[in-house]
Amino acid sequence: MSETIHRLPKAKIQKDALSWFFWTLPVAAVALCAWFLLHDFVFAGPTITVYFQDAQGLQAQNSMLKYRGIRIGDVESLKLTKNGQTVSVKVKLDHSAAEVARAGSTFWIVRPQLKLGAISGLQTIVSGSYITVQPGTGPRTNVFNGVAEAPIVPIPGVNITLLANNLDSLENQSGVFYRGVQVGEVTGLHLDENARFVVVDARIRQEYAPLVRADSQFWNAGGINAHVGLFTGLQITAESASTLVSGGIAFATPVNYGPAATNGSIFALNEKPDPKWQNWNPYVPLVQAPEMSRTNSSMPQIGSQIGK
Amino acid sequence: MDKVVACQTCGLVQEVDDVPKGAVVKCARCNFQIFHRRVASRTRTMAFTLAAAVLYFPSNLYPIVTAEYQGQFTQTTIFQGIRSLWHDGQYFIGSLVFCTSLLTPALKILGLLFITLTLDWPRFQKTRAWIYKIIRLIDPWNMLEVFLLAICVSMVEMGEVATVHPGRGVFSFAAVVVLTLLATLTFDSRLLWDTPAEKKHYE
Repeated sequence: MSETIHRLPKAKIQKDALSWFFWTLPVAAVALCAWFLLHDFVFAGPTITVYFQDAQGLQAQNSMLKYRGIRIGDVESLKLTKNGQTVSVKVKLDHSAAEVARAGSTFWIVRPQLKLGAISGLQTIVSGSYITVQPGTGPRTNVFNGVAEAPIVPIPGVNITLLANNLDSLENQSGVFYRGVQVGEVTGLHLDENARFVVVDARIRQEYAPLVRADSQFWNAGGINAHVGLFTGLQITAESASTLVSGGIAFATPVNYGPAATNGSIFALNEKPDPKWQNWNPYVPLVQAPEMSRTNSSMPQIGSQIGK
Repeated sequence: MDKVVACQTCGLVQEVDDVPKGAVVKCARCNFQIFHRRVASRTRTMAFTLAAAVLYFPSNLYPIVTAEYQGQFTQTTIFQGIRSLWHDGQYFIGSLVFCTSLLTPALKILGLLFITLTLDWPRFQKTRAWIYKIIRLIDPWNMLEVFLLAICVSMVEMGEVATVHPGRGVFSFAAVVVLTLLATLTFDSRLLWDTPAEKKHYE
């Protein structure tokens, strides 16, 4: 047998270069766990506690904290406080929403509300209630007191006080009208300290503030004014459709008006308008609202050249 | 002493010299690996098992699904799912899910860790063989969790009504399934009854 002819090929023998690679798997697993933990403890947003008088509609692990319509946190737990007076709601904030946890933030619960003249929170009928927030600007804190109702957004304006004998159909957020245009709203209602008047706080928006003068006359414009006259027949008037259900205040300013009303000015709220007031037709130059007076420099002004 | 072997891939008959430890044999023609034992079986199995053991924790601690339904939002871990099945009176399904997704991966990981770590000791030889038999027995049941997951996802996939996101748990869980599978694949059961001299050479 000739060895040279039947020589078999030799298999190659190499170093095992692959096995070390398998040890990267446990290392990668540990790295993944570390990343999870890092996300949970280091990058996690703070957990805040909000105390509510009434947490109706909230569910632990289910309800959300929403701001501007998006979810920024989750309700972790609901607990009655030791004295049984309030409910402490623990909310875990998203990392991106940590800025919300500042003193001065106001939290409230959005529930479906069906009031005369106002329907709100309709989506919560199916989705369940959620907490929402109006961020504050104070120092960081993790404990808050929730409020029962949505706070009224502070629009710049002149706050005035009206004294009425009877509340009639007025309520919070009823409108204040000038010639049927809403120029402000009721921000608060309470009895005065001797219970002799109803004190109605109202705010007139900044752009309409010059309309209110020291000698302006206010009257209750809520409901329907029915007037039966021998020759005129039945006259029914209402300030606007919304005042029919939610009430409202109207006012007029005399032609030779006095100085502009300032914050805290007090007026009487008449039950019925004097026909004379409705004929007052003063010239009142209005200042423009800050948003409207902002000029956009990129927009061509009237009369300026925009091309050749 | 030369050995004559045939390549498993291309069938070429060739001579193989003595193979030193930590080396691999490649076919002279097709360059595929030639082996009559799985290469570095113990090391590879141990690596896979350790990775699976590490990921077993996130797979059970983190939610497998996050469902958002009309603004309500729920996160479910495997254990919560089993508990709610049990509360619904679905005892059979509940225990099935418990066995396939919690119990068998845990048993498999522990068993493989025991075998690979104690392989050098002559003492537990019988126990190791016994554990290996159990692992082979529960292996097909381990696969069931993949199907269970597929069923779960199709059940909660409701399109517009609800959005279902896979959570961190489900990725870790899938990784555990794949890693335990690979761990048993790379394990060469002949290691269980090798003599100490053979073991030195092949592990």
